[in-house]
Amino acid sequence: MSKPALMRAMPQIAHVDVNCFYASAERAFDPSLEGKPVVVLSNNDGCAVTRSPEAKALGIPIGEPWFKLAPRAKEWGLVALSSNYELYGDISARVMELLGRYSAWLEVYSIDEAFLGVKGTPEELLALGRTMKTAVRRNVGVPVCVGIAPTKTLAKLANKWAKHNPAFGGVCHWDSVPAADRDGLMGRLSVIEIWGVAARLTKRLNVLGIHSILDLSRADPVMIRDRFSVVMMRTVLELQGTPCIPMEEERVGRDQLIFSRSFATPITTSADMRQVLSVYGQQASARLAKHRLQAKVLTAFAGTSHFNPKDTSYPSVCVPLPMPTADPVLLTKAAHALLPLIHDGVRYAKAGIMVTDLRPAGNQAPLAPFENPHEERRVGALLEDVTRRYGRGSIGLGYAGIKSGLDWTMRRDMLSPRYTTHWDELPLVKAA
Amino acid sequence: MRVAIGPRVIDAGVSLALALVSPVAVAAGYPSPAQDYFDGRIDLNEHLIQDITSTYIVRVSGDSMEQAGISDGDELIVNRALEPRDGSVVVAVLDGELTIKRLRITPAGVVLQAANPLYPDIRVPALAELTVWGVATRCLHHV
Repeated sequence: MSKPALMRAMPQIAHVDVNCFYASAERAFDPSLEGKPVVVLSNNDGCAVTRSPEAKALGIPIGEPWFKLAPRAKEWGLVALSSNYELYGDISARVMELLGRYSAWLEVYSIDEAFLGVKGTPEELLALGRTMKTAVRRNVGVPVCVGIAPTKTLAKLANKWAKHNPAFGGVCHWDSVPAADRDGLMGRLSVIEIWGVAARLTKRLNVLGIHSILDLSRADPVMIRDRFSVVMMRTVLELQGTPCIPMEEERVGRDQLIFSRSFATPITTSADMRQVLSVYGQQASARLAKHRLQAKVLTAFAGTSHFNPKDTSYPSVCVPLPMPTADPVLLTKAAHALLPLIHDGVRYAKAGIMVTDLRPAGNQAPLAPFENPHEERRVGALLEDVTRRYGRGSIGLGYAGIKSGLDWTMRRDMLSPRYTTHWDELPLVKAA
Repeated sequence: MRVAIGPRVIDAGVSLALALVSPVAVAAGYPSPAQDYFDGRIDLNEHLIQDITSTYIVRVSGDSMEQAGISDGDELIVNRALEPRDGSVVVAVLDGELTIKRLRITPAGVVLQAANPLYPDIRVPALAELTVWGVATRCLHHV
């Protein structure tokens, strides 16, 4: 095989994430924030979780409590905003939907980042990266950077590089960068900067003379496996260009719907997992109803982190539904079939449900005994109506939607309008 | 109707065993002939929104576009993905604010026009210096 043909055949990973996501989402609807230092505060207006570049330049550390910043905000011209989760959720969904048009092979990794499987020559890959960057900025309105590399770990590193070095114009194709420059970068960065290496392990790595990412990439994978874990060995191999962390596909074809996310903080109790599964059950119900579909099978799953070699657990359960349904009560109950397999104390980093064997709703009238008692009473439609009128979390089934005690009283004193999800809060355009 | 009864069927709300032996009359009535002609109701999203990822709805504040049929309080459907052309009604960023104007691209230069004689034209040195936030495609005018 000729060299270009070979390169074309080898799939690569594109890592796309939004720059300062929360602050960028706010700026998309309030251009007056452009160029100003902006921080977005965590729940209850606690501390700064996102900083615009201008806020970083002021030396505001991530996680700085708001009460410490408030006295100086005026002097700095600092704008602080409460977390507008409704806005960020919608902007995130738009970004992911748009990215999905560039590759059927998409893994939504978190609210503001995704991995995509891509193929092509280096020129084609760079062009694709730039096209995606331009499209997200233009269509959705938020800036992204793109890193493209043979492995997920390198793609994340390439993205970080693209963000910090303006020469890349926001898109870095790892293999197109001269090897000496790549080594230079990896030599400057501490191992702690690499995806998947826990901070607590750096000391043990340092003892072995491994300080920089470059050191780690040149380590013997077998030695690393013996001294640390298979997980750390995978990171070494990934740094050397051998893909070891597979893509987790979010959605394959139209015949299934998946609702799944990695958690910011792991779930460790069955009670919390019950709540998460309830939320997914209701999301699945809403999505099915929207597309006038019913599902015949539900699969619920959870998993521990790739990076935590201890107590790995990937429980999953497949539940045939008694009839094709979009009923939130039935779907939630079915999702809860996973709970007996969930063990308190295990740190689950991810969970989700998948509904499959989809069919158009109402194609076949069920025999009377099979009629769904909840659909009959229009529980799903009622939930949707209430949600539409009073907002998400105003009503839910059992453990799901209803906001927990904290959320009910959550302080969001500096909340911007929920521009894209609430009719009363649409962005205003001046006609003057 | 095929009912899946595997070795590990998990009851998700209805007792199948009971249902299967139910003596209740089967409601397999003749379907309504209208059913064959029903394709679903008109969905405004489908007709008014070309691309859901790039379309936002905004609300007008002010009367400067009155003669273009765009009044104070009307909602506009704005597509960010469209290329602004001469004559487009655009949402532009002016002094940090989202502002609605008609874009004029002429040999004499780029101008943002109001649709109300009370508001003067705004000349733009070059199209590149103008931030167009999106192009309005529909006005939801309150009648």
